[in-house]
Amino acid sequence: MSSVDVKEEILCTKNLSKEFNGVWVLNGINFNLKKGEIHSIVGENGAGKSTFIKILSGVYPPSKGEISISGDKVFLNNVKESEKLGIRTVHQEINLIPFFNVQENIFIGEELEKKVMGISILDQKKSAEAAKKALNTLGVELNLSEYAHKLDTSMRRIVQVCKVLVGKCKVIIFDEPTTTLGSSERKRLLDVILNLKKQDIGIIFISHNIDEVLEISDRITVFRDGENMGTMVREDATVRMIISQMIGHKSYVDFYRKPVFDKDKTVFKVEGLTNTKLTDINLKVYKGEVLGIAGIVGSGKTELARAIFGIDSIKSGNFYINEKRYEPKPDSSVKQGIALVPEERHEQGLVLNMNIEKNISLAYLDQSCRSNVIDFKIEKNIAEKLIEYLKIKTTGSFQIVRYLSGGNQQKVVIGRWLSGDFSLGIFDEPTKGIDIKAKDDIYHQIDKLSHEGKGIIFISSFLPELMNISDRILVMRDGKIVSEFDPRKNTETEIMIAMLGGDNDK
Amino acid sequence: MINNKKFMSICWPEVLRKYGTVIGTIIMFTVFSLLVESFCTTKNLFMLLRQMSMLTIIACGFTFVMAAGGFDMSIGNVTGLVSMVFTIVLVGTSNFWLSFLVALTIGLFVGLINATLVAYINLPDFIGTFAVGSIAYGIKMLLTKGNPIFITKPPAIFTFIGRGYINIIPFPVIIMIAFVMITIFILHKTKLGRRIYAIGGNPVASVYAGINIKKNRMITFLLSGLSVSIAAVIMTSRLNSGQPLAGEEFLLDVIATVFLGTTMFGEGEANAAGSFVGAFMISMLNNALTMLNIPYYFQYITKGSVVITAVMLAVLMGQKLRVQF
Repeated sequence: MSSVDVKEEILCTKNLSKEFNGVWVLNGINFNLKKGEIHSIVGENGAGKSTFIKILSGVYPPSKGEISISGDKVFLNNVKESEKLGIRTVHQEINLIPFFNVQENIFIGEELEKKVMGISILDQKKSAEAAKKALNTLGVELNLSEYAHKLDTSMRRIVQVCKVLVGKCKVIIFDEPTTTLGSSERKRLLDVILNLKKQDIGIIFISHNIDEVLEISDRITVFRDGENMGTMVREDATVRMIISQMIGHKSYVDFYRKPVFDKDKTVFKVEGLTNTKLTDINLKVYKGEVLGIAGIVGSGKTELARAIFGIDSIKSGNFYINEKRYEPKPDSSVKQGIALVPEERHEQGLVLNMNIEKNISLAYLDQSCRSNVIDFKIEKNIAEKLIEYLKIKTTGSFQIVRYLSGGNQQKVVIGRWLSGDFSLGIFDEPTKGIDIKAKDDIYHQIDKLSHEGKGIIFISSFLPELMNISDRILVMRDGKIVSEFDPRKNTETEIMIAMLGGDNDK
Repeated sequence: MINNKKFMSICWPEVLRKYGTVIGTIIMFTVFSLLVESFCTTKNLFMLLRQMSMLTIIACGFTFVMAAGGFDMSIGNVTGLVSMVFTIVLVGTSNFWLSFLVALTIGLFVGLINATLVAYINLPDFIGTFAVGSIAYGIKMLLTKGNPIFITKPPAIFTFIGRGYINIIPFPVIIMIAFVMITIFILHKTKLGRRIYAIGGNPVASVYAGINIKKNRMITFLLSGLSVSIAAVIMTSRLNSGQPLAGEEFLLDVIATVFLGTTMFGEGEANAAGSFVGAFMISMLNNALTMLNIPYYFQYITKGSVVITAVMLAVLMGQKLRVQF
């Protein structure tokens, strides 16, 4: 690491470490940030990025190590103290009040007041000036009296940045600010961040998107397993370098499978599916086939899964499972042999306050029941077999799923379906936010399922994994299926072009 | 992992959180026994149990609704409505079983309306069931013009339901025990109970696991209506008349009861054993304060304070309140 001029160094951590229940999730992090610099942190989920920023923003106290701001050692005991010292975070979740306008949202919690006849009232004029100044700094035109619910996601994000800017701020931490944005929105936000740089503010930028990291960073630091794997200046960095640092010796996606599908037998078929989000979807899944669904955020991938399972209502469409027609409704879909591993583990997959046993038995409760009365022995047996089979790391089948790691929680959701006998398994982003080992286990599981003759729909926004696991890839855009690819013949680039709306023939 | 350490050694906040209601009940019981001479006597205790039977039965129904993450504000007024209609039919026909059937039908019908509004039309529980309760109150008053109806020739079986004994045990107490046992059985041992808890824990995840949450929530409201009907019949028998204002206090008492049984009892989910202990505590307060000749309005102040104390302690002990409105 190059030596840093102390004068322009705005934030520095030495040997910063954090322990949770005997596990060091952050280990000896040395990190520094200069004025007017964008310093990105990249790393896989669980690498320690979020723990690091939580320490900086005062959510957790560090177990060891020190933090200094402009050369002075500081203790950040809570969020307020950290904010007082000028460390502000633009969180991943956008928390604006929909029926407040832009200006009102900017000043929530930090309202500017003036005294009129001894009574404090809101100072609208001063607020408007401060808000305008913040927007100018960001180089954004925005009507201050527009309601928040009318703004698109990137604009909401920008309002969030304004909120931070009107307070005292020396360091802004951006936690995955671009995840839910489309490409033009993304560009607008990145421009805003580049504008901020000119204000002598230090910026810590966290993102999964390596391309955008390379586009805007001055320096890039890679975290792996709670350690700093090294910092590089942008000019020296390449995607390959960063990724190899992130995942260590492991290759990008270390999984390849042989196709085993039987083109004579159709497990699932849908004709002419249309609802508010989808237009005329026709698709087939063969016995033992893994059908990949690709598409950018908002292309309708998840909505497709929801419609097949029967969560969203449909306008028209015929659904067949094992060549038998069915009405998509969650309870009857399960009985007909459809399984769905949803995108959001916490919100859609698990009852977090229930234990592993109860979460696993939830979908096929009948097999643990004798005339509607649960036989706890059978239930426990099923859970224990799956815990062993899926290598779920736990203290036992009675453990509350809230306390499991992300990968193990995902395995519980998958285990729920493996406990029964389904014909079509829909996996919606099953590897999102879980560690490499768990990902690998899930790929093998899907491979096994296809060998058992089940049909699989695998939805993912991570193209490399889709290329490796799928027998066939359908690309969705704007609620329609736009093209079909063979991952053994077509390239990632071709598929990406189809996803983004380009023309492969040109 | 965090839990593991706590399992190993006795952790007092944890004990208090899980058994707080029980500990509180034992302490109060001891204090009342010392303060009031005639409190801890067989006669008074059986009377206490008989008094709490209606409260407990309604609380059992309410427990189903709350375990599924719902709320039922209609119970108080519906108890009164069922009681009045039951009395009118009984006085008119002198046929207990017909009257009983009508009572059950009204309770189930109100449950059906509640469920339709809340589970199918998606009105917030509080508003939907509150409005139904208000309508029930209006109908009750319309039917009786606010006058009580006395039952001059009560059938023997009718009298037995509220005032009869089997050996020395009051009959309502037997119905209450049966209700508590059945509720515990359904909630913890059956498919229905498991699904109710799953819906209360995470309705979205329950849909994704193929559970029909509308149907199951409907069942909880039907059970609540059923329990209200039975409690109303017992109440009518105890009063030997239809009193238009009777039953209204059940709403507050049942909420207090189920809160006490949820927040400081077990894992923090609505459960019948907790509701039973909660009902015992509330009824004991009513009983002992009456015996101490403390004006009835102090009972309300005391009950409110007990609920606040329980919820506050639970929060301090790190209980995540799962009661949502």
